[in-house]
Amino acid sequence: MKKPAKGLGMAPRPTLASWIHHHRQAASGSLRRAFRLPVATGLTWLVVGIALALPASLLVILQNIEAVTSDMRSPARFSVLLEVGASLDDAQDILKRVESRVDVQDVTLIPQDQALARFAADTGLVGMLDSIPNNPLPHTLLVNPVDNVESEGLAQLARALEAVRGVDQVVFDTLWQARLAGVLQTGRRLAMGIGLLMMMGAVLILANTIRLAIDARRDEIAVIKLIGADDAYARRPFLYTGLWSGFGGGLLGAIMVGIFFMYLAEPVNQLLQLYDSDRRFTGLGIMGVMNMMFLGGALGLFSAWHAATSQLRELEPR
Amino acid sequence: MIEFNRVSKRYADHDALRDVSLTIGTGEMVFLTGHSGAGKTTFLRLLMLLERASMGTLRVDGRDTSRIKGRNIGRYRGEFGIVFQDHQLLYDRSVLENVALPLEIAGFRPRDIQRRTRAALDKVGLLGREKVNPAVLSGGEQQRVGIARAVVARPRFLIADEPTGNLDPQLSAEIMGLFEAFNRVGVTVIVASHDLALISRLRHRIVTLKDGRLVAGAGL
Repeated sequence: MKKPAKGLGMAPRPTLASWIHHHRQAASGSLRRAFRLPVATGLTWLVVGIALALPASLLVILQNIEAVTSDMRSPARFSVLLEVGASLDDAQDILKRVESRVDVQDVTLIPQDQALARFAADTGLVGMLDSIPNNPLPHTLLVNPVDNVESEGLAQLARALEAVRGVDQVVFDTLWQARLAGVLQTGRRLAMGIGLLMMMGAVLILANTIRLAIDARRDEIAVIKLIGADDAYARRPFLYTGLWSGFGGGLLGAIMVGIFFMYLAEPVNQLLQLYDSDRRFTGLGIMGVMNMMFLGGALGLFSAWHAATSQLRELEPR
Repeated sequence: MIEFNRVSKRYADHDALRDVSLTIGTGEMVFLTGHSGAGKTTFLRLLMLLERASMGTLRVDGRDTSRIKGRNIGRYRGEFGIVFQDHQLLYDRSVLENVALPLEIAGFRPRDIQRRTRAALDKVGLLGREKVNPAVLSGGEQQRVGIARAVVARPRFLIADEPTGNLDPQLSAEIMGLFEAFNRVGVTVIVASHDLALISRLRHRIVTLKDGRLVAGAGL
């Protein structure tokens, strides 16, 4: 009787080593393929790049606006004007009550005499004000809320101060800041929304690119599966194609954003100088570029995984 | 050992295999013959798990193949070397890269791949042509590349579906000679062919299928 064949004579490498080797091969092979088709590859990168560049630009512009406006902000503060007839003792009582609130950091009392003296000094109307028999200004409390109170919290505090007995009027000097914060928040969400839509578009385009790549290599996939490759082996090169498309798209997007900001930086910096700001317009930075590349890579990998898994499931042999 | 036990394969419009029972011993060489549509290709497709039997049991070395699940099919197929009538070579790769493919999939080291691939090409008489594209080779040479690829990972089973279908009688005899050489070192060889004149000259069991039924050569 014949001696049976031993099968794979020399044992293959340990699983981890061969897995790493397969990955290295798939990664370099798909990159070579991408560079062999420069026009198709460039167009795919461009689509992904535009999809990432638009929301990234919006976000960076918003960050710059936030940085500039934070320099202009004074801490949120209320001027609480007491009723004209209120005595200094009444004012002290109200001060204590307001001061005891958890959302109030500190309160300063400006007595009506001091207020009048300051007004007279500021306006140069000392003589004229001396001729007025009664001081028309009320006692005033300057109320500083605790830090990190959102606009809704400030509005609540204003309502509460107005409700205090003896308070005539509450003036919130920094309402415009709350409005600006609201506008910036809306802008951020808008950028996120646009970004999400653009990224969904990029995912669909990448998935379609992978589907076409699989279709073009249908025969090769059939052969390698017939001679022992599993789905993971057949799928791997396409996952790297998706990854490289995403990375490349992210890099191209970062370059586009960089060029756009270079174009924008000079007039914006001149404008900032006119407002005596020390700020300078800042771009993506290294971390921003890396983030765009990694986000692109993740999108590419996700698209490729989805497209390749579903496509390979339908290909013969299973 | 390969055991077909009352295996049938039914498609929507016809029965491709009917109640086939057959045993092929380890290290045996068997010719599978019959007219077109007799069921030869279905027989091989069931063996490679490209199809599943509608009825009956197919065992390979005692393993019930119906229990082999999706992710293990690749490993199972890796135990087979397969030669196609139309070669099924990849024409964007060199001869060497085509032959090396099963070793790449199995995870061999690059230097082992080089050594084994050159040895396989030497056996089929193509050493020195490893860098050329298979598209420039003749039909017979392409079939040799296909055979080298099928045996490079030293499979336990070698399956060939009409391997001499496109070749002249002299080349066909040479190809059969290669299969016999691999069989002599213990590889179980199953060759599907309708070239009765060629296979009857060789002293191996001939299994005949007709309309999906086994009509001759069932026993060991």
